[in-house]
Amino acid sequence: MSTVLLYLILLKAVATSFSGLASLPVLRADLVEHYRVLTDAELSTAVAIGRAGPGPIGLYVVSVGYFAGGVPGACAGLLALVTPAFLIIPAISFLRGAAGRRELRGAVHGVMFAAAGLLACASLPLARSAITGPLSSSLAAASFLALALTRADTVWVVVGGAAVGLLAAWAG
Amino acid sequence: MAAQVTLKRLVAVALRVGNLTFGGGDPTMAAFHREIVTRRNWLTPEQYALAFGLARVTPGTNLLAFYVAVGWRLMGWRGALATVLAATTPSAAFAVLLTHSAAAWGANRWVTSVFEALSATAVGMTVATAWLLLRPYLRGRRAWRPLVFSGGAAILALGEWLSPVQIVGLAALAGLLWGDTEGP
Repeated sequence: MSTVLLYLILLKAVATSFSGLASLPVLRADLVEHYRVLTDAELSTAVAIGRAGPGPIGLYVVSVGYFAGGVPGACAGLLALVTPAFLIIPAISFLRGAAGRRELRGAVHGVMFAAAGLLACASLPLARSAITGPLSSSLAAASFLALALTRADTVWVVVGGAAVGLLAAWAG
Repeated sequence: MAAQVTLKRLVAVALRVGNLTFGGGDPTMAAFHREIVTRRNWLTPEQYALAFGLARVTPGTNLLAFYVAVGWRLMGWRGALATVLAATTPSAAFAVLLTHSAAAWGANRWVTSVFEALSATAVGMTVATAWLLLRPYLRGRRAWRPLVFSGGAAILALGEWLSPVQIVGLAALAGLLWGDTEGP
C-alpha cells in the first residue's frame, strides 16, 4: 500500500470521527478487512499503545500507520491526525470576540461549566483503571491538591508521579 | 506578573505539557489550563473554554484541535502550527518506539509501574481542572448556575443520553438563553 493511500484512509477515519477511538471501526473496516495490511492483534496493540503513551489516545493512529507502512506510515498517521485539527481555525476566528461580548458571554460560560462537568466525567473511567489501591489513590489525591491549592508546575506533578512509580517498582 | 507569550515560550509549554501528560486528551487539556490560564495568564478562562468547546465539535482528535485553537489564538498561524507539532511529534515518535518494541516494553515492571503512577496523577489533575474552572464562579447570587450546568453535563454524559458534542452545543444554547453569569 502506498503512503499516500494510507494517509487518505487514515484521514478519512480521523476526519469522520469526533474523539480518539471513534475512528476505530472505519480503520478496521478499511485496513483489516478490505486491504488486509493490518491484523486485529496489531490493531489491539496500537490501541493499547495509544492509551499507554503521553498525549491523546488518538495517537494510536500513528501506531496503526507504523504497523501498516513502517516509518513513512507513522508519518502519514501523524499528518492524518493533524490535518482536520485546522478546521477549528475558521470557527475560532469567527467567535474570536465572543468571550468579551456581553450577549455571547452566557453561551461561553455555559460551555465552560459544561466543560468542567465533562472533565469530571472523563476522570471516572480513568479512575476505574488507574486507582487500584492506596498508593494510586494517594497519588491522585496529591496531584489534585497540588493543582487545586498551589501554583506548582505540572511537570513537577508528573515527575513526582513517575518517581513514586519507580519507587513502587523498586520496593515491589 | 506572568511572562509575555512568545513563540519560543509557547513551544516550550507545548513540548512539556503535550508530551509529559498521560491519560489522554482531557488530562492534557487540563494541564494546559494550568500552564496557560492559571500560571501564565496567556488566555482568560473564557478563551480557554471557547477553545475547549470548539475542539469538542471539530472533526478528528479533540486535543489536536485544541492545540491549534490555543496556538492560533496566541500567535496566529505560526503559533497554531508550532503548538500542534511541538505537542504531538515527540509523543508520536514515542508511540512508534513503543510499537516497535511493544512486547518488551509491555513486560517491563519498571515501565508498567511508572505508567500506572502517571495514570493516577492524571486522574487528580483532571478533577482539579474541573474544580478550577468552576471555583471563581461559585459565589454571589448565581453561584448555583455553574453547578447546574456542570452537574447537568455530567449526568447527560454519564447516562450516555447525549454525546459530548451535543452537550457542549446544548450548554452554549442554554447559556445564551439564560444570559450572563456573575464571575471573578
